[in-house]
Amino acid sequence: MSEVNLNGVKQNKGVWLVKIPKYLSQQWEKATEKGEVGTITIGKKQGKTEVRFSLSEELTARGATGESDASLQVPRHHPLTMHTVKGQTMAVFSQTESEISLEGMVVHRAECRAVASDNYMKLKKLQIQESIKPQRFSQQLEKAVTHVFKPVANHSFNVAYQKKKKTEGKMVRAERQVVLDMLFSAFEKHHYYNIKDLVEITKQPVTYLKEIIREIGTYNSKGKHKNTWKLKREYRNYESEEEKDEEEMQTV
Amino acid sequence: MTSLGGSSSSTTEYTVRVPKNTSKRYNIMAFNAGDRVNCSTWTQARMERDMSARRIYGDDESAEGAGGSEFGKKQRDEARRRKYGIITKEFKAEDQPWILKVNGKGGKRFKGLRKGGVTENASYYIFTQCPDGAFEAFPVNGWYNFTPQAKHRTLTAEEAEEEWGRRNKVVNHFSIMLQKRFREQERGGDDEDESEKTGKKKKNIGRGGELHITDLEDDLMMSSDNSDSSMGEDADGKSKAKKNVGKGKKKKRKSNDKEAVEESDDGDYEGLEVDYMSDESSSDEEPEKGKPSKTEEHLKGIDEASESEEESEEEKPNEEEAKEEEEEEEGKKTPVQTEKKKKKDSSGESESSDDSDIEGETASALFMMKKRTPPKRPSGRGSAGSSKTGSRPGTPSIDSATTSNTLRAAASKLEQGKRQNQGPTESPAAKRLKMDPSSQSPAPSGKSTPQPPSGKSTPSSSDVQLTEEAVRRYLIRKPMTTKDLLKKFQTKRTGLSSEQTVNVLAQILKRLNPERKIINDKMHFYLTE
Repeated sequence: MSEVNLNGVKQNKGVWLVKIPKYLSQQWEKATEKGEVGTITIGKKQGKTEVRFSLSEELTARGATGESDASLQVPRHHPLTMHTVKGQTMAVFSQTESEISLEGMVVHRAECRAVASDNYMKLKKLQIQESIKPQRFSQQLEKAVTHVFKPVANHSFNVAYQKKKKTEGKMVRAERQVVLDMLFSAFEKHHYYNIKDLVEITKQPVTYLKEIIREIGTYNSKGKHKNTWKLKREYRNYESEEEKDEEEMQTV
Repeated sequence: MTSLGGSSSSTTEYTVRVPKNTSKRYNIMAFNAGDRVNCSTWTQARMERDMSARRIYGDDESAEGAGGSEFGKKQRDEARRRKYGIITKEFKAEDQPWILKVNGKGGKRFKGLRKGGVTENASYYIFTQCPDGAFEAFPVNGWYNFTPQAKHRTLTAEEAEEEWGRRNKVVNHFSIMLQKRFREQERGGDDEDESEKTGKKKKNIGRGGELHITDLEDDLMMSSDNSDSSMGEDADGKSKAKKNVGKGKKKKRKSNDKEAVEESDDGDYEGLEVDYMSDESSSDEEPEKGKPSKTEEHLKGIDEASESEEESEEEKPNEEEAKEEEEEEEGKKTPVQTEKKKKKDSSGESESSDDSDIEGETASALFMMKKRTPPKRPSGRGSAGSSKTGSRPGTPSIDSATTSNTLRAAASKLEQGKRQNQGPTESPAAKRLKMDPSSQSPAPSGKSTPQPPSGKSTPSSSDVQLTEEAVRRYLIRKPMTTKDLLKKFQTKRTGLSSEQTVNVLAQILKRLNPERKIINDKMHFYLTE
């Protein structure tokens, strides 16, 4: 994405930068594959250069279909006002996935104006009506959303929870070695664990687990809020790079 | 292309096409007219996105890859953010600025920032004319404003503010960048040293070559030798004071070197940003800053009377004295006369000029010493070893014999003071006891009254002692002027009054008999061990 293709400027290609109203560009998007949207007429009337853009017939319809709908029609004729680019040097560059190329320099700026016809006024009215609508609006709900809890002997959630606990039973202490293996494999994945997470992983009672982990690991408030357990240095054999960084950070 | 020929108007028509299938996205590259950018002169250009903002956004992710990762960290962070309603903006590569480099390494550099709000209400199209005469319109995807990037060095915001404060005084503005470069070089050198010497407590001040770094080290080292307990605060306080003085001196020196500087007023140092080397806040530093820098100015006025550009009233008598001293050095005036003059001048003045007095006295005393007692050197050396505890029969004789002229006056003043307040004798006692033998024997006869051992090494209530050992350490390390030595033993620290300091220092120097060397037109003392 680095090297810029300078062919455009080398050939001194000049381009026009034209500002097109939104409704017009919307119509252009409806154009056919060929892409013809209209014509530009450059004429000299009594010494003055006049540039006009005429929208092609089929694109005047505002509706979904391609017919000229009488109610809504996009105006056809748009004079373009031309400006020079003395105050600003502008170039155009294009970007594809693979390449950046400088297409050319802007030699003229133009703005597409609309003639104040009835059509145009209708169009604008519609547009304004649309844009006035607020983005957020109030909506009445049929059923009120409540979080009020009815006083109940035992909530359904609680009941479910207790049942689960009963079926699971208390956590049984497994063999020490087994637990150690579980811990080591867990620490292979991550360096720091919260005691609660370890309990969940190993399914051991907390006190027993704490005993074991006190052997092989240390508790640290890493400076990052949570207090977590990490393996002792002698038990660690992580990837060298990260280990080094960690150790360096520790010593410093 | 159809051309309708008309009589009054000539129009040409061109069709406009909007190609549908281009994968190319067109953007505008806007330059400022004032930059005078001519794209046709570009031979080569490279452009890429400036991804430097990515680390701000994605910092945590890269760090927590595998090393130092926590279990469930991401979920927890996500939950936390939701709880507090923190919404972080995504890092969109599309919106990042462009960096455009023209004509390779030596050419220009531009930064292109995306202009927002371009495609909101109106669409821009690029009309290019095809060979067949028709226009092709491409929608503009984004608008980037490209600005040239400075290649020359610039001052940082803090430095700029500093220089802004001095703009009325500084005449030669070209030297600003020169000095900045010099400073950076030194800082670079210091950094290297630091990385080597990890054991030493060397603070990176970046003023290499000047006295102040070694002062600081000396202070720290000395304090640690003497008393561990007082080291912490003392070193800090001293470093603060030293640094303030140093800063004042540094500014002065800078101005002396290249620029014509006005006299500095009291409020000039107020807005100064000072490097934080100690834990104390800047508000503490400012009042202290004013004071030492003032004393600094006065002290300086004596030695560098010819160089100094300050002309405050207080310094005029100092200058006179300095001139007198210089003459005295050549042995033209008798010490008594100068002593009298000094006394007259100093009688009505503030303490700051007392310092200068002392300065003069010390210098004169020393020079007197030097001239008259060259053979006594070995004896002085021999007894220097037992400075703290042993009695030195040799030196008092020297003292009383030769310095009584200059010190007698000072001593007599002390006498009066002593008679007035026969109170507890602590550190002043040290001086008084010493002075007593010499004052009581007005005749310059060689009376060898043994110095009471406590006279010299009485542990005063101060934290830093003006001992021979200390002075000797300084002088071995680096050549110093009397003024520098005085600075090291500030009256606040040693608990002695300024006159006493001078006298004691004179004594010590006599005993040590250091070698002399002229550096920068100033007499420096040093010892080689």
